[in-house]
Amino acid sequence: MAFLALFLAYPLFYNVWTSVHDVELGQLLGGAERFNGLENYRAVIDDPAFWHSVRLSLIFTLGSLLLQFAIGFALALLFARPFPLGGLLRSLLLVAWLLPPVVSGTLFRWLLDAESGAYNALFRAVGLDPLSHDWLTDPATSMAGVIFANIWVGVPFNMLLLLVGLHTIDPELHEAAAVDGASAWQRFSLITLPLMRPVSVTVLLLGLVYTFKVFDLIFVMTGGGPVDATRVLSLYVYEVFFTFFRFGQGAAAGLLLLVVPLLAGVFYVRRLRQEQEAPTGGAV
Amino acid sequence: MKPPRHPWLLTAVATVITAAFLLPVYWMAKTSLTRPDRIQTPDPQWVPTPLTGENYSTALGYPGLARALLNSLVISSGVVALTLLLGIPLAYALARVRMRGSGAMVLALLVAQLPPAIVLAAPLFILERRAGLSDTYLGLIAADTTLTLPFTVIVLRPVLRSVPAELEEAALVDGCGLPGVLLRVVLPLMVPGVVAAAGLSFLIGWGEFLFGLTLADGPGVQPVTVLLNAFIGQHGTTWGALMATATLISIPVVCVFALFQRFIVGGLTAGSVRG
Repeated sequence: MAFLALFLAYPLFYNVWTSVHDVELGQLLGGAERFNGLENYRAVIDDPAFWHSVRLSLIFTLGSLLLQFAIGFALALLFARPFPLGGLLRSLLLVAWLLPPVVSGTLFRWLLDAESGAYNALFRAVGLDPLSHDWLTDPATSMAGVIFANIWVGVPFNMLLLLVGLHTIDPELHEAAAVDGASAWQRFSLITLPLMRPVSVTVLLLGLVYTFKVFDLIFVMTGGGPVDATRVLSLYVYEVFFTFFRFGQGAAAGLLLLVVPLLAGVFYVRRLRQEQEAPTGGAV
Repeated sequence: MKPPRHPWLLTAVATVITAAFLLPVYWMAKTSLTRPDRIQTPDPQWVPTPLTGENYSTALGYPGLARALLNSLVISSGVVALTLLLGIPLAYALARVRMRGSGAMVLALLVAQLPPAIVLAAPLFILERRAGLSDTYLGLIAADTTLTLPFTVIVLRPVLRSVPAELEEAALVDGCGLPGVLLRVVLPLMVPGVVAAAGLSFLIGWGEFLFGLTLADGPGVQPVTVLLNAFIGQHGTTWGALMATATLISIPVVCVFALFQRFIVGGLTAGSVRG
């Protein structure tokens, strides 16, 4: 615990301290930092680039979250049924999630390359020429490109957790419903969906926290560009801190970046508590 | 769920989906084995002929790549060691010892997984620099361990709790010393959790990028993920060598996962869902 305090809690508190001081590169090795109250926060809030990145973060997070959840759910439904090689194929899918984000980023930079990228070649091959496009270097489409890559990374994890949830549903419920003449769609919408609600909320919350954090993937794919089109909050903080060395401001922006995951975390912990208290709890 | 009527049909559907999903990975491996002059063409080859190792020799010829691979190995092994060294006793204490505030500590561990790495990287940059830890293996290992330690404890604690205290007491009564109890009763039960934690810690340490980017100054301790990113700028158009490097980085990931798959999947779901 001491380690966590030293390397996790202390830096976070130090971040709070930095955020109310005027710290710059010159004072890095212990100089006179001037206390400047909420000055750094004001500078961040007055910075249009900050609000731009907030908007981009929301687009990136919501776009990734909904699609990776929907695809993950569909795959979980498929893999919940027993069939030959199911386990092996499921494990293969997980590889996408396990690759280091830097590798995935590099890879998608190449896949979405204008001329010889695989996806564009594929589009041309099947006659969808208009879709063949230099996705990442056009500001209008670069966000779609990074969301696409992030969905690819996120789908297996969503699938895995939702699969665990599906296995907790008592199969007899489905059988009884089938005997009573419920169609497949009715069984899905009236049994599976409601029973999957607790797991789904958990998966979405975790997804929200993870997606909001994403740095490496975007940094490698576009570096925030072209023309700031993909400079989400985490990249904004990085730039203020490590490119302009405005440490105080970077720290302030970093703390503002914490707001969303913290809210999600509070919600998540409260749900865990409720489930533990509920007598039947523990669908998860 | 009752067996489907056409199991092999499902297999076929799942295979097609998996193949489509893994196209990027295939494309990486494929590009790395394609002759450099056939890579950047408007009409790319889907199956490379002839296969060539040329991109790999180009990649391995880049200065610093071998060193960076070694650095990543040192760092991720260090992360595994430090995580287990700190995580096992901590999980044991939180599961067994009744002390004030252990509930708050568990909560703190959950919260510890929330902050984006960038929020940590920034203060760590200043602090490690002042403490002389930046640009050292230890500095990077310690930073990465902040990512692995919380979930390790979260995965291990329920396992330790499931060991009935009576069992430990009984073994003590039977004349087994405390180390013997830990070794013979507790440890065997922990194996799956420990393997999961070790495997995931290795994967996280191996793939980590941001701390490597900000806390390692030069090629001395720089992990290979940072080098790969640097290559994109420098050798931007040599996709063959770049994909060869990316493949080299992916191989340990796939190996570790293939070896410890069962444990890792178990740990992943336990760590994220059970809390």
